[in-house]
Amino acid sequence: MSKKITRKISPVAQKAVAHYIEQSNVLNNRFDRSDVVAGRLRAQAIFAEQAFPTQRDEDWQYTKLTDFVQNHFKVLNKTMVEHSDLHAYHPSFAVTRIVFVDGWFDEELSDDLSELSRGVTIESLRDVYDIKDGADHLFARESAINKEPFGVLNSMLLADGYYLQVDDHVALEQPIFILNVQTQQNHISNIRNHVVLGENAELTLVEKYVSLNTTEDFKACTNVLSEITVAKSASFKQIVIQQQGAGTYYFNNQFVYQAEQSHFNSFYAGLGSVLSRHQNHLSMDGEHIESNQSSACLGREKQVVDSRTDTLHSQVGGISQQLHKYVLDNSAVGVFNGMIYVDRQAQKTDGQMDNKNLLLSERAKMNSKPQLEIYADDVKCSHGSATGQINKDQIFYLQARGIPRAQAMEMITQAFLMEPAEMITNNQIQQWVMDILAKQLNAKKGLKDVEKVTE
Amino acid sequence: MLLKIENLQAEIDEKQILKGLNLEIKPGEVHAIMGPNGAGKSTLASVLAGRADYEVTGGKVDFLGEDLLDLAPEDRARKGIFLAFQYPVEIPGVSNKLFMQTAVNAAREEQGLSALDMFDFDEYAKDKIDLLEMRPDLLERSVNVGFSGGEKKRNDIFQMALLQPKLCILDETDSGLDIDALRLVANGVNAQRSADRSFIIVTHYQRLLDYIKPDFVHVLYDGRIVKSGGFELVHELEENGYDEIIKQSQQA
Repeated sequence: MSKKITRKISPVAQKAVAHYIEQSNVLNNRFDRSDVVAGRLRAQAIFAEQAFPTQRDEDWQYTKLTDFVQNHFKVLNKTMVEHSDLHAYHPSFAVTRIVFVDGWFDEELSDDLSELSRGVTIESLRDVYDIKDGADHLFARESAINKEPFGVLNSMLLADGYYLQVDDHVALEQPIFILNVQTQQNHISNIRNHVVLGENAELTLVEKYVSLNTTEDFKACTNVLSEITVAKSASFKQIVIQQQGAGTYYFNNQFVYQAEQSHFNSFYAGLGSVLSRHQNHLSMDGEHIESNQSSACLGREKQVVDSRTDTLHSQVGGISQQLHKYVLDNSAVGVFNGMIYVDRQAQKTDGQMDNKNLLLSERAKMNSKPQLEIYADDVKCSHGSATGQINKDQIFYLQARGIPRAQAMEMITQAFLMEPAEMITNNQIQQWVMDILAKQLNAKKGLKDVEKVTE
Repeated sequence: MLLKIENLQAEIDEKQILKGLNLEIKPGEVHAIMGPNGAGKSTLASVLAGRADYEVTGGKVDFLGEDLLDLAPEDRARKGIFLAFQYPVEIPGVSNKLFMQTAVNAAREEQGLSALDMFDFDEYAKDKIDLLEMRPDLLERSVNVGFSGGEKKRNDIFQMALLQPKLCILDETDSGLDIDALRLVANGVNAQRSADRSFIIVTHYQRLLDYIKPDFVHVLYDGRIVKSGGFELVHELEENGYDEIIKQSQQA
C-alpha cells in the first residue's frame, strides 16, 4: 500500500524519476489526445511524489530496484521484425496470433483480426482511443492501479496495448496468443491491456514475453498492466510465459475482477529476466466464484524472481486455489508473497495457497510470505510454505536403478517444477508449457554441479 | 563366482559397522543373511548397492571379475546389482513409467540392446504388473506416492522383474508386510529365481524364508558372519534365538 509521503530517495532514483517523467512528456507530445494526456499527467503527479519503492517498503524488501533505477529505459519507436525472427516463439498448436514489438502492436506480424469469430474483438489500444469513451475505460480503475508503483509508471507511459472483448455467451475455442518481443537495447515496452469477458463467455489467453537478444548485455524492460473483467458465469483461462533475456526487467500487474459463478485460471511461468515481478490482484466479488492462480518459477545466477498474489474473497462460497513452486540455483533469489483476504460476508470460502521451493545451491535464497486475513467465521482456508534441497534418498533410489546421478537430479527437479502446470486443462497447452519448462531447466549444466543435497 | 566379499569393513558417521565380512555367492544361489538388530545387515546391503553415507574402510568386493566398490551406484545397477529397499522412496511427479522406462533402457544400453519405446515398454511391463497384482494405473502414478507399505515393497519387486538383475539384494523386504503382501512379494521373488540369478535376502525374521527357501543361511553379528549353514539353521534360530549362536561365537 502506498502512502503519500515525501520520502527520502537517493539521487540516482531521483534522476530515474525525472527521466521517466520526461519520457511521459515525450508521449504526451506524440499521442496528444487530451483525455489520455490528462491520465498521464495525473500519474506523473503521483509518481513525482512517490518515486520508486525502496527496501524500506515492505512489499519491496527482497526485490531491490537499485540496479533497475540506474538504467534509464526509453520509449523508443517500433522497429522492423521479420516473421522468421519470431518463428521459434509461436506455439505449434492453432492460435490467433497477436504480436507486439517493443510494446507496440504490429499488424503485419499479427493474424488478421477482422477474421476473428463473431463476438470477439481485439484492438490495439491506439485504435481504442478513438472509440467513444474509450480512454475513460482505461482510467476507470485508477485508484487500484495507483497503489502499485509500476502501475503508476504504466499509466504515465500509457501508449499501446490491447483491448480484448468476448461478448456474452461467446465461447472462443481457439486460444489467443499474445507475444511481446523486445528488440531494442535500453527500451521500455509499456503495455496496457483491457480484457472484458461478457456473461457466460469463454476465453483462453496465452501470453509470452521474450527478447530477441538473450545475452546479459541486452538491457530492456517490460512493464505490463492488464485489467481483466470476468462477468457472471464466464470462464477465463490464462497462461503467461515470461522468458525474456538475462539482462532485462519484467513487471506485470494484473487486476482481475470476477463476478458471480465465474472462473479464473491463471498460470505463470517466471523463467527469464534479471529481475521479474508478476502480480495478480484478484477481486472475487460475487457468489460461488472459482479461481486458480499457480506459478512455476526458475531462477539462476543472480536472477530475482518475484511472484505474488492478492486474493480478495468478498462473497459467499468462493473457492481459490494456488500452487507456487520455485527452483533456485546459484545466487538466485526467489520472492513469493500471497495474501488471501476473506471479507466478513464471504462465508463458506475455501482458500488454499501453497508455496514450495527447491534450492539447488547454498547461495540461493527464498523469501516466502503466505498470508491469510479472515473476517468470516465459517471458512476453510490454508496456507503453507516449504523450502528445501533435493532429497538425497530420492537421488539414490533412481541411481540404484541404473539412472546416472545427474539425470536423476534432473528428473526430480523437473517433476518438482512441472507440478503447477498440471492445472492447465488444455493438453496441448500443458504439453507446450512443460516442454518450455524442461528446456529452460536443462538449458544449463547447472544441475550437474550440484553437490549439496539433504536427507 | 558371481560375488566375492573379502574382509569387508565399513563405517557410518565414524562408527565401525562391518568388521571383516567374508561371503561368496555363485550364480543361482539364494543366501539369507540373518542377525539381530544392529548387526550390520542393512549396512551390508547398502554398501553393496553403493549408498554414499557408508564409507568402506577395508576389504574388497569382486562382482563378475570387477572391483564393485570402484563403481558408482548407477553402474552397479547397470551391471546387474539390484537393491530392494527397506524403505522404498516416494518421488512425487516422476511417473513409474518414466522411471522404469529410463532404468530399463539404461540397463539395455549396457547390454548393447536397443531402447524400448513407450509401447514396447508397456507390453514388456504388462505381465509383471499382473504377477505382483499391482494396480492397473501403476505406470501412470508417481513413484510410490500414495502407496501402502506393501504396495511399495511390491513395486520394488516389480522393478526387479523389469530389470532382470544378476544379483538381487532384498533389504528387510518383509518388514511391515502383512501375510498377504508377504506372499505376493515372495511369489514375485520366486518367479525370478533362475540358474543364473542369485539372491541375498537380508531379514530379521524367518517368516519370509518359509516362502523363499534359501540355499545358505548366514548369521551376522557385530559386523561379521559368525555362523553359516543350510536352511536348517533357520529353524535352529527359531528355536534358540540369536543368543545361543552369539554366545558360541564369542567363546570361539
